[in-house]
Amino acid sequence: MNKSELIKTLAEKNNLHVDEASLIVNTFFDSIKNSLVKGERVEIRGFGSFKVKDYGGYTGRNPKTGDVVDVHPKKLPFFRPGKELKEYVNK
Amino acid sequence: MSSKTLTKADIVDAIYEQMSRNRAEVKTHVESLLDIMKQSVKKDHSLLISGFGKFDAYDKKARKGRNPQTNQTIVLPPRKVVVFRLSRKFRSELNPQG
Repeated sequence: MNKSELIKTLAEKNNLHVDEASLIVNTFFDSIKNSLVKGERVEIRGFGSFKVKDYGGYTGRNPKTGDVVDVHPKKLPFFRPGKELKEYVNK
Repeated sequence: MSSKTLTKADIVDAIYEQMSRNRAEVKTHVESLLDIMKQSVKKDHSLLISGFGKFDAYDKKARKGRNPQTNQTIVLPPRKVVVFRLSRKFRSELNPQG
């Protein structure tokens, strides 16, 4: 399923206009994104939690050419599935 | 780093502020959205949110494990695990400098 199918399914299931369903779905993911960009944690009970991890920069090598490249520090989010989701996919 | 945590209630508030529906109704819709997301991960093994990322469910084979306390060997059953893969767009938003 992708985002537009998610919006369509939500609209049909809850008798919402597609514009309303679209606002719900977009605000849902935008809120999560904005918090993570600010470095905040996100916790959605029953689904899972997100946390951003900081990685320091290092000097790496291009394995093909052997050239030295600087790998910049980066931030990556991590998702931990919640208990309910874990149990649900295994049911 | 900030210690604030965004919760479901915060998300419901953010949606409520933009909609002419009461808060309880918005909360029902958000719960419903989470149900649809869970079903999609289970049924299609994948949920793709463009500009955000992808939730994938993949199969893990059974493997032998050991209870470190008793040293007893046990077989861990096969199971499905859910992972999140970040979209390129979101990645560049988190790392604006490069």
